[in-house]
Amino acid sequence: MAPRLAPAGAGLTLRLPLRTTSPASLLRTTQFHTSTPQSVKLGWSTLPPRAKPTRFNQVTSGLPAPTAGPAAALKRKAQSTPVRAGVLAIKKGMTAFMGLTGTRIPCTVLQLDRVQTVLNKTRKDHGYWAVQVGFGERDPKNVGAPMLGYYEAKGIAPKEQLAEFKVRDEKGLLPVGVQLMPDWFYIGQRVDVRSNSRGMGFAGGMKRHGFSGQEASHGNSKNHRTIGSAGPSQGSGSRVLPGKKMPGRMGNQRVTVQNLPILLIDNDLGIVVVKGAVAGPKGCVVKIQDACKKPPPPEEHIEKTMRALKERFPNAEEHLQQARERHLELKKARREKRIEEILAGGWEPTREQAEMMERAAAEDGA
Amino acid sequence: MNVTPLARRPLSCLKTSLLRQARQQKMFSRSMATEVQAAAAAATSKTPSQGPDQNFYRLVDKKTKSVRSAFALYPPPLAAAGKPLSPPSTTNPVAALHDLQIKKLDPTGARTALFARTREAAKVGDILLVTHRRGGEPFAGVCLSIRRAGIDTAVLLRNHIGKVGVEMWFKIYNRNVAGIEIVKRRLKRARRARLTYMRKPKHDMGSVAEFVSAWRKSRRVFQTKGAKGKAAGQGGQGGKKKK
Repeated sequence: MAPRLAPAGAGLTLRLPLRTTSPASLLRTTQFHTSTPQSVKLGWSTLPPRAKPTRFNQVTSGLPAPTAGPAAALKRKAQSTPVRAGVLAIKKGMTAFMGLTGTRIPCTVLQLDRVQTVLNKTRKDHGYWAVQVGFGERDPKNVGAPMLGYYEAKGIAPKEQLAEFKVRDEKGLLPVGVQLMPDWFYIGQRVDVRSNSRGMGFAGGMKRHGFSGQEASHGNSKNHRTIGSAGPSQGSGSRVLPGKKMPGRMGNQRVTVQNLPILLIDNDLGIVVVKGAVAGPKGCVVKIQDACKKPPPPEEHIEKTMRALKERFPNAEEHLQQARERHLELKKARREKRIEEILAGGWEPTREQAEMMERAAAEDGA
Repeated sequence: MNVTPLARRPLSCLKTSLLRQARQQKMFSRSMATEVQAAAAAATSKTPSQGPDQNFYRLVDKKTKSVRSAFALYPPPLAAAGKPLSPPSTTNPVAALHDLQIKKLDPTGARTALFARTREAAKVGDILLVTHRRGGEPFAGVCLSIRRAGIDTAVLLRNHIGKVGVEMWFKIYNRNVAGIEIVKRRLKRARRARLTYMRKPKHDMGSVAEFVSAWRKSRRVFQTKGAKGKAAGQGGQGGKKKK
């Protein structure tokens, strides 16, 4: 380990051993250190003695926290990361929201369909905090074997769409398998809505970048909508600069509309109505999350929603645990080619499923 | 017609009486059987413990027809009330939202009826009078088009004010629109959905002020005497003036 350079004010005497670099002189310099008697000291330092003796003579000890790296990046982005997860929805179309005082607000209707939490991503396992959320329902015949196994382990029916929402810290994580309803948000809340814009296909420069095009006359021939020159010639390198705006694929890019106020929520219809427009055609999938440039929702609202989740799905954790255990069994059986035996031998329902069946039977009876 | 075959085949009359009857009975019993089977299938689907392969999705090898693998399929979890997750009550929430708002803004259903697709409703070509809630002159004009869009339904009225053509869109459910009245109906049904040709000088109706004043006068008559014949006469008079 190279000896650390002394600060400018350290004086000439301290630099002396640098010039006479021999093992013997280095060993003698151990008198500068007072801490960590267990560790072998091969260098010397003018830094203040460490508060906590460490086992290894680490270069980073005693230094300020790094400003780059995963931890620093998370800390830097914490400010702009929402506290809570969001939901997936489908854009159902635009209409007007008529106020009682004669105001008319154009609005977009977004519909939630069986939105469930699927997975929590943690700093420890994945490097960041996030909640994976599923939307809708997918026919199992259209789901691949790996994903069937994934849903089996989660104990939920295959979802049409999956998306993840980054959250600020572990407080934003949610129980797996619970349903998020429109009342996850409140009226008047500001949200960010992300979706893919309508794809325009291959578009020319005029449509894609708003170029002026060329003249209709004055000797122009067959070049009315072309982009013209792509840059200067010899002297400027005779090359096209990177990023030159040119014809190409237009649209079908992710567009975020920020800070849209929520006008209406309805759990029965499953709708969230936001003010203004949202990118994309009708039927496109949108992500709705708390606005990152506004303060997070009030604590009372967050607590209320979490309480509602617990009330609606009291045994979500048990269900997940059972599903995990059963998944491990079945996985083992699949590996050992015993799956047909299990299929033939019948299946004993889990406690929760048994309860559900009882309830269904009771409903039928009533 | 039936006589000749009867002569040739004397037992053919039995066909109609006995055979068909028997066939019908068979049909009846068959339908009963299918019903019972359907009920049984429904019963098994609710009790997965009975059927071995319930709640499993099997991946079957196409060639050997053997089960390659199988995965447990879970029903959607239960909410606290014992209700499973179900899709939202409608796949067309925009229409539901329209109904919700219309119920609130037009509780009597008068506006909806005025622009419904019925015989009595207002149509393009009719002269309408719109009064504002916050004072101001009421706007009258010939209806050029009706844009039906639930709560956002709007009508386009055209009039001449000081020899200048003026067109205005009115949202029929807007709270700022205090009332909409039919001043005069078009004599013949318009054969276009949008009468944009009425902007051309050849077809332009000009000012509708005289129709409105005539209508006002007739209403006064209405109020005093309540004579229905007068209103009809007024309509005929208007027609003469128009063409």
